[in-house]
Amino acid sequence: MTHQILRVCGTSNLLPGAAAWRPLEAKATLAFGEYGDWPQALLAGADDPVLWVLVLEDLISPDQAEGLDAEAMDALLRPILEPLRARLEGQATAAALVAWSAWRPDAIVRASRRPTAWQRLARRLETALYALAAQYPGLHLIALDEVFAIEGLRGAFDARNLYAARCRLSRRGLGELAGAVACVLDRLAQPAKKVLVLDCDGVLWGDVLGEVGVGRIVLGGDGLGKAFADLQAAALRLARRGVILVLASKNNEAEVWAAFDQHPEMILSRKDIAAWRINWREKADNLAELARDLDLGLDSFVFFDDNPLEREKMRAAQAQVSTPELPADVTLWPALLDSFDLFAKAEVTAEDTAKTVQYQNRAAFSAERSRAVNETAFLASLEMKPRAEPLGPANLARADQLIHKTNQYNLRAERHSAAALAALAAAPETTAFLTRLSDRFGDHGAVGLTIARRSGTHAFLDTFLMSCRVLGRRLEVWMLADLAARLKSLRVVWLWAEFRDSGRNAVASDFLDAHGFSSWPDAATAPTLPDDLAALAGDGRLYRVALADLALPHLEVFDDPARAPASYPERRAPAAVS
Amino acid sequence: MTLPAPLLHILKDVLRRQFPKAILPEGEDLSVGAFPEWDSLGHFNFLMSVEERFDVRFSMEEMTELKGLKQIAAALTAHGVVGG
Repeated sequence: MTHQILRVCGTSNLLPGAAAWRPLEAKATLAFGEYGDWPQALLAGADDPVLWVLVLEDLISPDQAEGLDAEAMDALLRPILEPLRARLEGQATAAALVAWSAWRPDAIVRASRRPTAWQRLARRLETALYALAAQYPGLHLIALDEVFAIEGLRGAFDARNLYAARCRLSRRGLGELAGAVACVLDRLAQPAKKVLVLDCDGVLWGDVLGEVGVGRIVLGGDGLGKAFADLQAAALRLARRGVILVLASKNNEAEVWAAFDQHPEMILSRKDIAAWRINWREKADNLAELARDLDLGLDSFVFFDDNPLEREKMRAAQAQVSTPELPADVTLWPALLDSFDLFAKAEVTAEDTAKTVQYQNRAAFSAERSRAVNETAFLASLEMKPRAEPLGPANLARADQLIHKTNQYNLRAERHSAAALAALAAAPETTAFLTRLSDRFGDHGAVGLTIARRSGTHAFLDTFLMSCRVLGRRLEVWMLADLAARLKSLRVVWLWAEFRDSGRNAVASDFLDAHGFSSWPDAATAPTLPDDLAALAGDGRLYRVALADLALPHLEVFDDPARAPASYPERRAPAAVS
Repeated sequence: MTLPAPLLHILKDVLRRQFPKAILPEGEDLSVGAFPEWDSLGHFNFLMSVEERFDVRFSMEEMTELKGLKQIAAALTAHGVVGG
């Protein structure tokens, strides 16, 4: 990732240069505005992400809130949020991060019968901010008081800093602010981890199953057994948010499944586990195999194992796998798993919640394909039903997710921000579709994204990506055929594409050559790419094809009467070359 | 007052870390303004780094009065810091 600029402004003096900012400076170049210029800073620099640190008491005194009803409070807050709203409504495509705090010390008794005016004002602010976030996908919120509460609110503020330097936050508060911002920036830049690898003995339950038997493992009830049950519940919560659970455990496999089936306190069941390697081999080798089974990179795996030696071995053998250090105290693990930033996403989509079944289907598909002799006949037997749906508000979250986590089958690896994606979806000169697929293995959900930018008779393939869950089904051919049909109806003749090597998308590298595109300018030089589209291209290899010359084999494998091969009469019609 | 030499060395190290891009002048008794980056804001940040390094807390008055390394070292000694 290139070192991005983060514009930083705040209602407090944020002490630019303080050591507390250093960890964040490792991720982004921090461009601090002048103290007090936050409204201007929010409105400037629309191409760079901005961080606004809002400490409510910097702008409103507690006296101002007294006696106000909700409406009057909203009126008091409105001008404060106006510059942010203007930025979000304007042309800004880069993310806006708002880290806000509304805490102020007060007497406990004052809030013992009803919330204080200040507490009500703080809630109005929170409501207004989240209403903006619901409206604008580029806005990300950090509730600083929640962050500060972890170590203690009082220590996050420092009255001395306020009177000496107009900064309400303490050194520790600044550090926690920087850390929270780093978490959000990380997630904007990199997808969340996808796979939680669980050990069995010492993680799912206490004691050694092979020695004590199913009836004697430590699980459920009171005491330590409850901690293991709670850890399973935390793992299940992750699974419901789309994390794939797999087992890598040194046990006898039959005994593990006996525990799953017979122990009354098991929270997890077999259906929650997408894949497993329960054997006595090295776990690093097992994980490499699991990654192949699931068609996922090892860098999307998190290894959760109670044995420090296994963790050390995993770090040495598979550095791409995230292997967090665990405290020795098992009772801390359920909360640890719940608060892992590694898996956290800002949005959970319907696809996420069905993920385990989809990956189990993937494993079944891999097994059947390896047995099939004739690939075309096999693919036809899948009864694949692809369907395109226009990019719009209802599916933007899924498109954003695909853009950020699809690494392998991704022609340009162009990671549009959520706000940029929303703008593209609304732009009239853009043809943008998500592709959904179902087959007899199940509904795979929205697995492909195509964005073409048009200019006259030319179109540029801005985004063409497909989830690795459906690799090997020729869906990419259907997506290209579908795009071609739509572009032709809009009088487009030439389709331009770019392959940008991201280091991880080798699988997509021969897609353009294989489907009729020619490398350009090696190809006949006229016509050239129009300037407005050329501005979109990066430093990759450019390709061009006349839509009439597209090679679109294998369309017959799709169960798609509306877009049967006959719907693409020019798909391979040499006589029709323009 | 005689000050433990290691304390000044550590302070200078904290100063160097606070201003990694600055060229520090020779000498032990440097004060705010000794190089361009060490302005009033830089000094406030430096004093916070000193607090963190020695696990002490300066009062508002100390934040205003402490201007040079020797002064800071003396204040640290008064806070019970011995030689670093």
